[in-house]
Amino acid sequence: MTIATLTRPWEAMSYGFLDASAKRELRRKMLKAIAVPGCQMPYASREVPMARGWGTGGLQVTLTLLKPSSVVKVIDQGADDSVNAASIRSFLSKVSGARETWDTTEATLIQSRHRIPEERLRADQVLILQVPNPEPLRPVEPNMSVARQMHADADYGRLWLILYEQIVRSGRVMQGAAYPSLVNGRHVMTPSPIPRWDVPKLHMAQHLTFLSAGREKRLYAVPPFTRVEPLVFSDVPYQVEDHAALTCHRSGMTGYFMNEIPQEDGSSAFELSDSHLGIKAIRQAEGAAVKIGPTWYENGKMPQ
Amino acid sequence: MSLLTAVPVPDAFETRTNATFEAMMWALSRPGTVQDLPAPGMTGIAEALLDRECRVFCDDPALADRIAAFGAALMPLPLADHCFLSLGSTIDRLAQVAVGSALYPDDGATVVAEAQFGTGQRLRLTGPGIETHAEVSLDGIAPGFWAMRAELCRYPAGFDLFLICGAQVIGLPRSTIIEVL
Repeated sequence: MTIATLTRPWEAMSYGFLDASAKRELRRKMLKAIAVPGCQMPYASREVPMARGWGTGGLQVTLTLLKPSSVVKVIDQGADDSVNAASIRSFLSKVSGARETWDTTEATLIQSRHRIPEERLRADQVLILQVPNPEPLRPVEPNMSVARQMHADADYGRLWLILYEQIVRSGRVMQGAAYPSLVNGRHVMTPSPIPRWDVPKLHMAQHLTFLSAGREKRLYAVPPFTRVEPLVFSDVPYQVEDHAALTCHRSGMTGYFMNEIPQEDGSSAFELSDSHLGIKAIRQAEGAAVKIGPTWYENGKMPQ
Repeated sequence: MSLLTAVPVPDAFETRTNATFEAMMWALSRPGTVQDLPAPGMTGIAEALLDRECRVFCDDPALADRIAAFGAALMPLPLADHCFLSLGSTIDRLAQVAVGSALYPDDGATVVAEAQFGTGQRLRLTGPGIETHAEVSLDGIAPGFWAMRAELCRYPAGFDLFLICGAQVIGLPRSTIIEVL
């Protein structure tokens, strides 16, 4: 083996933007991440044409998986049409020839910031969550070497202490997003800032989830059929947001996670956070042949 | 000049390595399921994963030459992060495979070995990726291997195993609990 035999002919651009060595490194780390669910694996995090903190971690995982037959959906807080989501999706399609979609049921790769779609993901789908802060222990231990030792020792007492203090101070757990969750009974992960509403969707799911933090250079995974248990006290049950009774003022759907829209008169209107689910419901009401897939929540409740 | 007006087309290398990785990813995500590789043998796996950043051990000199061509450094077994082993006759070497530590689980090696699927020792698998339990039959692996694996894989430390049978692969991550039936 010489450098000459390893060198490849010049190309204007590698397929899927990332060069082959970046992809190989990500592949190795993605396999380790699957093997130890919820455990943060360091990786190099290459430069991509986007600022760190805007989804570069998720982008690198998606770019590694992309092939011409992929169908990509990208959402930002549930919406397919936000500038960030639309730009990432068009970039992914440009560098790979993969088809773009808004429809959760059509997609093979779903890159997301802060939401998991309401329609159930299937066994052949991969969810890639963009993660700003992958370290659940950061609020209690800023030194990352010490935090690593705490993960090694499964020393998560101080996370329970935070939750306890919130209950004492406020009467309930105040942690809204990125709720610390125990994966496979061993590692606590932060499920990226998804709302509490979405955490149960990761528990014993059909699909594979990657969580990748580009700025922090760490990725972790939740394989299918893996236990993901939010940290709770036995006498204070886990509560999702109180959205079960809210109705979307545009689509008329009830029982899903909603965005609150403040009104002039001080009241609030609500609309579906999963924007394409709303679009499908509106089209269906208009008589179009649109199929809404089975959803995780039924009548505002997650079936046990 | 616009480089992105044409639809990018992957070359044969990219298509092959992407498909190999996808098979390995699903194999590891669903332990016990058989996934199809684009080409038979271990060389494709080395091609998809290994480069000059890797340290590799291979106990078959002919295969070692082909793997080394991808740039990985050939190393003694305890130092290797990817091990291509033959587990048919002896498992003495297994004790030397790097298993990482609770502090650095990613230091645990990836072990690739050949086996025959569908015959031989029946195993019951439980753990992440398996809804209740799964059963596989594997032949061509020396007796005592599974007991030794259980001894070495002290979760989250351990090694991750890919078994190859022609152009098929089964993945057994360290998180899988294996019961010998």
